[in-house]
Amino acid sequence: MKPAWAWQFDPGTLRHVEAALPTAITREWAWEGSTGAGVKVAVIDSGIDATNPAVGSVAGGAVVVADPDALRGARVIEGPHEDLFGHGTACAAIIHAVAPDAELYSVRVLGEKLTGRGTVFAEGMRWALAHGMQVLNMSLSTSRVDYYGMFHEITDAAYFKQAMVVCAVNNVRAPSYPSQYASVFSVAAHSGRDPFRLEYNPSPPVEFGAPGIDLEVAWLGGKTIRATGNSFAAPHISGLIARILGKHPTLTPFQMKTVLMAVADNTA
Amino acid sequence: MGDDPLADLAQLASDLGPVLRPRGDEEFLQAIVETARLVFDAAACSIALLDDFEEVLEFRVAAGTGAEATVGLKIPADRGIAGWAVVAGQPIAIDDVRQDPRFASDVAESTGYVPRSIMAMPLESERRTFGVIEVLDRRQSGGHGADDMELLGLFARQATLAVETSRIFSNLGQALFEAAALAAPGLDVRAALAKRAATAPKAQTELAELALLFHDLGRLGADERLVAVRIVDDFLTYARKHQR
Repeated sequence: MKPAWAWQFDPGTLRHVEAALPTAITREWAWEGSTGAGVKVAVIDSGIDATNPAVGSVAGGAVVVADPDALRGARVIEGPHEDLFGHGTACAAIIHAVAPDAELYSVRVLGEKLTGRGTVFAEGMRWALAHGMQVLNMSLSTSRVDYYGMFHEITDAAYFKQAMVVCAVNNVRAPSYPSQYASVFSVAAHSGRDPFRLEYNPSPPVEFGAPGIDLEVAWLGGKTIRATGNSFAAPHISGLIARILGKHPTLTPFQMKTVLMAVADNTA
Repeated sequence: MGDDPLADLAQLASDLGPVLRPRGDEEFLQAIVETARLVFDAAACSIALLDDFEEVLEFRVAAGTGAEATVGLKIPADRGIAGWAVVAGQPIAIDDVRQDPRFASDVAESTGYVPRSIMAMPLESERRTFGVIEVLDRRQSGGHGADDMELLGLFARQATLAVETSRIFSNLGQALFEAAALAAPGLDVRAALAKRAATAPKAQTELAELALLFHDLGRLGADERLVAVRIVDDFLTYARKHQR
């Protein structure tokens, strides 16, 4: 007699898996020669202004709006759209600065009504997962405890699909979702400006540090502005992950965390 | 006290809520923005709160340049740097806001002060988002943007607690009234409700009248109540669908 799920480890069933990790993980091994080509990255934010020269190109996208009549309280409208604030454009440009050939998809969840925005965020994540996105950049969060279970379910689903969910942590010292979960790449800003400077924090929930203070970032109208926020640190990590995935597409989220930790400036 | 103890109790409970309410809403928030303005050596600091529909941000308190013109201003909640902080649930600091064409410059100009830098932090509890605190043109930053945000986060936390506590007390009168009505089945509830409807502030009149209707409905047969529930339910569905 075997317990449930034990069949997966039967000798005839268990597949041989190429563990893509060498004994010494270096930056050269991790991302040298990669541009992030072939990796789908969803920028779940305020939209992306594709005409901004720092963005380069946008492969596609969708707008999510609250809809009380929809099954889960939100509706997705696929197609091109503008950036309502400038923030999504900033994130897109940061990702492309690190991984120039990553395929960017804009999933606009910000800018509609506030009411029900948790369900709108969640539907944006579901759309990204259903459309094969390998990296989900989320420079946004909610502190509302009502959404704890819903976001936990979606981040678990992402983990099982080997999609990397990268989240900016809120500045307030209280839990915010979805950055709070263990499977998520939780990011805060360090004071450096080099986009490849990466730090690992051995005392989570915040696990990774990236540039996010006094940065010149792309904004609306082809302009740039100088800005500060953990929301600008997250896309740096998304870019690095896209670059690594471009070279090692089979890496799982837990392997990716190991790689990022190994090549971090404070551990390498 | 009059002849109708329940009605008197209802009136008393309703009045007590606002009276017992901590002086959080305006005075405490005002103290927070004044302190924050001094700590950051900023040109101005303000707090805007969301309306019940979460569509409009109204500036409730402000300190510093343009403070008088700022208080009472209303802007759509999905606009500008403050709007982004509220919808994204994330703090943000921008140091050359005039470069941002979507920054609500008409708002800044109507207050007579157009800032160069702005730092915005959402006021969020684990239950809801209340609004945003903003600091304009801070001079004590020395380039340590992250430290500024940590500090502003503490002010935001204070403001959030103040607003949340204040709202609980404001609703206390109504809650006590409802509890009193439920706890005294032997008394003439209808009279109390009718009196309440006649004397309630305008915003509460409809709810008191609705309570009266429900009281009358309760005396009808089961079938009538069922039809009434269906009509109200259908109306709610319709109203939600066509809301704004």
